[in-house]
Amino acid sequence: MGDTRSGGGDFLPGTLDMLVLKSLSHGERHGYDIAKFIQRASDEVLRVEEGALYPALHRLEVRGWLRATWGVSDNNRRAKFYRLSALGRRELDRESEYWTRVAAAVTRVMRAT
Amino acid sequence: MTRLHALIAFVQRALGLSRRRHLNDDLDDELTFHLAMREAELVESGVTPADAAREARRRLGNRAVLREQSRDMWTFELMESTWRDVTYALRALWRAPGFAIVAILALSIGIGANTAVFTLVDALIVHGLPYAHADRLVVLIGNVERASVERRGNSYPDHLDWVKTATAFDGMAAYDSVTMTLERDEPIRIAAEGVSASYFDILGVGAARGRVFRPDEDQVEGRDRVVVLSDALWRSAFGADPGIVGRAIPLNGRSFEVVGVMPPGFTGVTDGALAWVPFVASGAALTSRGSRGFQTLARLKDGVTLAAAQTEMTTISKQLEAAYPETNEKRGVEVARLGPEILGDLQQSASLLMVAVALVLLIACANVANLLVSRSETRRREIAVRTALGAGQARLLRQLITESVVLAALGAIGGLVVAYGVLRLLISTSPVALPSFATPSLNLTVMIFTILVALLTGVLLGLAPAMHARLTRLADALKSSARGSSGGASRHTRGALVIAEVALTVVLVVGAGLMIRAVKNVNAIAPGYDANGVLTLNVTIPRLPAPATPGPPATSTPPPLVITSRALVARLAEISGVTRAAIGTDRPLGGASAVFYEAEGHPVESAQSRPRSYVHMVSPGFFDTYGIAFRAGRTFTDNELNPDSTAVIVSENMVARFWPGESPIGKRVRFGGPTAPWGEIVGVVPATKYRGLPDNPTADPDMFLPMVDRSSYVVAVRSTLPMASVESSVRRAIREAVPGAVIFGVTPLSEAVAQQTESSRFTTWVLGVFAAIALGLAAIGLYGVMAYLVSQRKREFGIRLALGAGSAEIVGLVMRHGLTMVGIGVAVGGAASVLLARWLSTLLFAVPAADPAGPLAVLVLIVVAVLACAVPAFRATRVDPVSALRNE
Repeated sequence: MGDTRSGGGDFLPGTLDMLVLKSLSHGERHGYDIAKFIQRASDEVLRVEEGALYPALHRLEVRGWLRATWGVSDNNRRAKFYRLSALGRRELDRESEYWTRVAAAVTRVMRAT
Repeated sequence: MTRLHALIAFVQRALGLSRRRHLNDDLDDELTFHLAMREAELVESGVTPADAAREARRRLGNRAVLREQSRDMWTFELMESTWRDVTYALRALWRAPGFAIVAILALSIGIGANTAVFTLVDALIVHGLPYAHADRLVVLIGNVERASVERRGNSYPDHLDWVKTATAFDGMAAYDSVTMTLERDEPIRIAAEGVSASYFDILGVGAARGRVFRPDEDQVEGRDRVVVLSDALWRSAFGADPGIVGRAIPLNGRSFEVVGVMPPGFTGVTDGALAWVPFVASGAALTSRGSRGFQTLARLKDGVTLAAAQTEMTTISKQLEAAYPETNEKRGVEVARLGPEILGDLQQSASLLMVAVALVLLIACANVANLLVSRSETRRREIAVRTALGAGQARLLRQLITESVVLAALGAIGGLVVAYGVLRLLISTSPVALPSFATPSLNLTVMIFTILVALLTGVLLGLAPAMHARLTRLADALKSSARGSSGGASRHTRGALVIAEVALTVVLVVGAGLMIRAVKNVNAIAPGYDANGVLTLNVTIPRLPAPATPGPPATSTPPPLVITSRALVARLAEISGVTRAAIGTDRPLGGASAVFYEAEGHPVESAQSRPRSYVHMVSPGFFDTYGIAFRAGRTFTDNELNPDSTAVIVSENMVARFWPGESPIGKRVRFGGPTAPWGEIVGVVPATKYRGLPDNPTADPDMFLPMVDRSSYVVAVRSTLPMASVESSVRRAIREAVPGAVIFGVTPLSEAVAQQTESSRFTTWVLGVFAAIALGLAAIGLYGVMAYLVSQRKREFGIRLALGAGSAEIVGLVMRHGLTMVGIGVAVGGAASVLLARWLSTLLFAVPAADPAGPLAVLVLIVVAVLACAVPAFRATRVDPVSALRNE
């Protein structure tokens, strides 16, 4: 909670977009849920800076990777739900493939003697 | 109403406006939801609700920043897609060069004409007077209520009372136009203004060199020998002498000290003054309320309306009337804005032209819209494919509007070129001198106007095919074949556009016809004199040059009687080419002064009906020279040319008032009070338009007295030779007969006549040009549509011809179709122009509400329309049936 490091600094540049796309790969979620999902799935290592999340969501929506609709949350509140578009799914595939390659490469470098 | 709302929503959606508004609300809702969730979670983990709310907000950060970031993203997206649309539109135009050239040309003409005329409007109305607070400047003009309220001047005592009592104004200044003689080797007459010291302050203009008048300089007699020069006079007469301030210059035979030079372009409220001297009342004018001449310039206090100022001045006038019934009975004050006083006619002309060019643009738009509809016909499949690929209707509409805005923008660029040419033409051929300060130019305001016009044009043009597209239901296009018959809807759209175009053209052509007729009517008014071949020259004999030691003011020495009329007239008559010559105190349309008179046996009944007449002193040949016929009696004899003569010549309307049915010869009139001697009528002339065209400002009669020696007068010669060739010999003759004479204001009388009607002639000329453009555009539009229809019905015509239809039948078919549209257009336009004519006839002199010019103009239009239909109609007969059918 007391972590004041900026959200962008928590992730490698561009990874927030990928994580958001990933969080939606199994169905629609609202913004709060996305943040929770990333936090939970990373065992609390990655904490999404909330101020950066919404601009990212809108950026992805403008690019046509996400579709947004208004719906009702579990606790009966009006919430904006995001889901992947066809374009977004393709982008997620591309980015996760790229990430896997880069991460493996970085790991190899770090382990090299 | 709901249809209108639907349309607005449609356009908004197309332009992405509504989306952006929703976006802000959406974002707020979304963030509120997020905060609520976070708060609930924190409370669950044991934080107090207040702390939870604070913590939730802290984590989210600044909402305004978030909102801005989000909005920027959408704006960027909008810009990017707009750019895509623009490049797409440019490519589409590039692929259809014929269409692009015709459309851009039509729009260039339409937008160019609007820009050119708006430039005039900008210079005359928007910019207006070149003074600070120009909208608060007014002129106070004393008037009198007679049969109608007539404008007169103000008297000095009244003026002083206004200055003292009126509270609606920031300041008041008396001003009067005066002519002065600047003595040099070749003395020149200069237009000047006598002004109160506060004059410059009210206008908010200071001297460029030296100073303007001090407050005491318009108060004390004898202190008034100071002069402020205009920049123009300083340059032309004094070679821009930097040491001019403090120098003494000889004006009107006296020495004036130059105290200042005004900045370039300042010409005073009379828009022609070359110098300013203090306005100083002296002698009888200082105390006499009945002696009226000048006007008063004033500036309304900030926030005071014209009506409030008028009310106050009326109250003051009533008080003065009660206090001084002798001189102020029925005397009021008119508070008039300075702008319309100076620009009146021109502002009206400019507004009228603006309406005309707006019509021209609408016609051009109808033309281009027609082309666009035809084009969208051929692009139906392209559009249908894009729809099927998921482009929303709003997105498509935006694309269409972008295309037409791009078209309009190209038209605007062409329009600026057209405007530049038209403007130069307008100014160089204009018979009207624009006020010196009005300098029409393609400035920023004009550019902004042009851009707005282009945008509006673009949106209008885009809506036409879009609406049309909605009518024809895009999806259907996929089902039908590419070259299927054009739908009924498209034919209706095009038909409606042609009808609108024809109707607008009728309105414009009829309007222009009426204006032309009005000017003809004004010109056809017989003024009662024959202006052709008459040259008039003003002559003045300056007072003797200022003596070395200042003598008594020149006003106290009577002007020397330096001419004998007879000698001068005799000398003028000797000039070869001069058939008649005369002198008089004034000339027709040159200004005259009025007196109250009394007809013998008809005592004055009331101040309002007190007979008034304009007085002119003339030599015997005056009537011959100006071509004024005698109704009765004779002209003066040479013997009557002396101050004691009692002979009087009057105009017919005086006779009609006092001696109807009687012989007027020998009747007596007098002016100058009950002790004045009676004058005896020796001749009667028609009531001429001596003081104004198309009509005299007031219905008062004219009275002519024998010319006696004066220090200034008007020489008139009638000649069969061109004016320019006699002018120099007339000048020489005057100089020889009257040494030291200053000759100025050399004017052919026909020019003075033309000047009276110049503004309406100018309007007419330009309107005529615009009407011709409109006619051309309408003809092109009609031709385009007919040609298109013929090409669409090629197969049908082929079949008809194959089945044995004659050429005449085919021609008839096409012509009937075209002329039906023209007929409806003419009917609609005709009805509208009847209303227009009624409006114009209230606006302008001599516009007949119903006039043969209208039907004649429509006839011209119909002939043009028949030609525009005939060409495609005959082409239809040349369709080869075999190839038309085989092409299937």
